[in-house]
Amino acid sequence: MEKKVILIKDTGFKSDTTRDIQSLFLKAIRDIGAEESIQIVRAADLGIYNQGVVVKILPDNTVYTHINSDNIDQIVKAVHKGEVLENLLLKDRVEQTRIVLRNCGVIDPENIEEYFSKGGYTSIAKCLFDLTPAKVIKEMKKSGLRGRGGAGFPTWMKWSFAANSFGDEKYVICNADEGDPGAYMDRSVLEGDPHSVIEGMTIAGYAIGAKHGYFYIRAEYPLAIERVENALKQAYERGLLGKNILGSDFSFDLEIRLGAGAFVCGEETALIASIEGKRGTPNPRPPYPTDSGLWKKPSIINNVETLANISAIFQKGGDWFSSIGTEKSKGTKVFAVTGKVKNSGLVEIAMGTSIKDIVYNIGGGVLNEKQLVAVQTGGPSGGVIPKKHLDTPVSYEHLQELGSIMGSGGMIVMDEDDCMVDISKFYLKFCVDESCGKCAPCRIGGYQMLSILNKISEGEGELEDMDKLHRISQAMQKASLCALGQTAPNPVISTLRYFEDEYKQHIIDKKCRAGKCSKLIQYTINPDKCKRCRLCVTNCPVSAITGDREHGYTIDQEKCIRCGRCFEVCKFEAIARV
Amino acid sequence: MKKMTRDDLEKCAQNTCQSTQYIKVGMSTCGIAAGAQDVFDIFAKEVKTRDINVNVCKTGCIGMCHAEPVVEVAVEGLPAVMYGGVTKEVALRILEEHVCGKRFVNDHIFDLPVRR
Ligand SMILES: Cc1cc2nc3c(=O)[nH]c(=O)nc-3n(C[C@H](O)[C@H](O)[C@H](O)COP(=O)(O)O)c2cc1C
Ligand code: SF4
Repeated sequence: MEKKVILIKDTGFKSDTTRDIQSLFLKAIRDIGAEESIQIVRAADLGIYNQGVVVKILPDNTVYTHINSDNIDQIVKAVHKGEVLENLLLKDRVEQTRIVLRNCGVIDPENIEEYFSKGGYTSIAKCLFDLTPAKVIKEMKKSGLRGRGGAGFPTWMKWSFAANSFGDEKYVICNADEGDPGAYMDRSVLEGDPHSVIEGMTIAGYAIGAKHGYFYIRAEYPLAIERVENALKQAYERGLLGKNILGSDFSFDLEIRLGAGAFVCGEETALIASIEGKRGTPNPRPPYPTDSGLWKKPSIINNVETLANISAIFQKGGDWFSSIGTEKSKGTKVFAVTGKVKNSGLVEIAMGTSIKDIVYNIGGGVLNEKQLVAVQTGGPSGGVIPKKHLDTPVSYEHLQELGSIMGSGGMIVMDEDDCMVDISKFYLKFCVDESCGKCAPCRIGGYQMLSILNKISEGEGELEDMDKLHRISQAMQKASLCALGQTAPNPVISTLRYFEDEYKQHIIDKKCRAGKCSKLIQYTINPDKCKRCRLCVTNCPVSAITGDREHGYTIDQEKCIRCGRCFEVCKFEAIARV
Repeated sequence: MKKMTRDDLEKCAQNTCQSTQYIKVGMSTCGIAAGAQDVFDIFAKEVKTRDINVNVCKTGCIGMCHAEPVVEVAVEGLPAVMYGGVTKEVALRILEEHVCGKRFVNDHIFDLPVRR
């Protein structure tokens, strides 16, 4: 008989009672003499938060919440008899749904046999022998899959444009440039399940009639490159790539191209130029790559995550896929949840899950029990979602309505210590640095907006600057050549929309609520609270704090660089930030 | 190497090539940055020197980056579980208490609610 295990964890905010509860459980188990068949273990994390003492029973996976000492005997007896206590059971549990990450962390990415054991490459076999290219595209239409690289363009439509374009050569390109700060979903997929992307690309090649494909991976991802190279080798050796795949008439070759890590090279026309060996700058569209792409031949460019979905769709069917998600956004989305969140990491949820559930139920809430202020999605092309809209379900449409975008999947949690002017400055600076400079609206507009933001954060701003920001934003959105410039103002527009007061505070009161804008703050020592422990003196990196035990200490404002180190280390709250 | 056919693939899909006793170490960039390589090495070495019948293998990122290095352990008679924050010391405890002693290690189990 398999042993039963009771995992326990106190998920409340106050003192941790896990150990006390454990001893009560131990006693209850001893009382019925079940030491051999039931083990009680303290867990580090059960993925459930703020529900009092929680127990989870393995291997049954039943979860009971809000346990107190009165329930313990009852639970132990039920576990012993194999019964379930309905009244304590946790219902409505927020779970991740894993399609893209189905094999990540499960199989050995360097061993193709393990991918086979999960039904790997049976989808390409099914497409080659049972379906015509047109039927493959039809199944994709049924699935409702939309691009995960940012814009959310229906994948089947892109494929059918390329399939219907005339050309003796066609190309499939996997966009693994992933340049958004804070995002690393694509890297994890390539590192954890490279064969799923290869299989997706091969199916795409069959559907549009391409014989060649390219992985465009940024050179900063050496492990991803190594694992894709290894996977390609294994697939070639077994006849899953190359000539006459699986003995069919279809032949398909895949190669890797390395990108130098410029954000703009993730844009499809710049990416194409880069593969061709030219300077990676965007070109006007139309013509779209599906008509005239790589080497002027019809090409499709899909994101890593988009491609990783495809073999799952053909294993389980387009209908299955479209049963997950919302009306217009099907399937799942992977987010890299970072920032002020307890459990930073990769989260894959069914579309339609609320942002609140992601942050609080899967992410475990905000670090150090601080107040959440906003959540940023879409990276430098996206925007912030303020706390009041946290119930919004994740879908392309809902996020756009709020002035943000789904983007490729960065999700950054921000708390009361984050300044919205500073955040928008950060993202805009990223775009200014990464702008290729080819067109004036982006090159000049971005720079001008950044100078205005700098002015505001230094307390030199004027109220009319907010209008100016809006006007330049509009010009950039309308007149920039590529989406980098068109979307660069988004973080500024969205923070202006939801946090206008905070901008005004910087401009009128010359104050930064979060204490991030260094020109607007000053640190001083309150002599009444100071215990003369000298901790701040030893920690100050620029030796700006002087004095002695008798007379107390002061901060030399000329020398102070406002790093906040003294504020953090003082144990007596004697350092004031004003 | 022999080229595969559709039948071969379908046969492979029936195989569960993973053994029933395993220790899987999350070895993507995030895991390696947190020290997963050392953890992997220590498992591999100890399993060999102590002649324990368990398969030590590497895998990708399970998504729990805050808890890296992450290790999944399955031994006969016990449900598979995930351990997080696995240092060399914890790795040795896992081998002694969990793999050999068949008792889970306290304070390191991370349970992730996932539907596949
Ligand atoms: C500045 C810029 C950067 C981009 N970076 C990426 C990227 O890193 N990865 C990606 O898949 N798409 C990126 N895109 C979107 C691509 O241009 C393209 O829309 C996408 O790869 C299409 O794939 P999909 O249909 O599967 O989403 C970027 C777009 C722009 C304008
Ligand atoms: S919008 Fe910016 S990145 Fe895009 S082409 Fe113009 S200058 Fe280059």
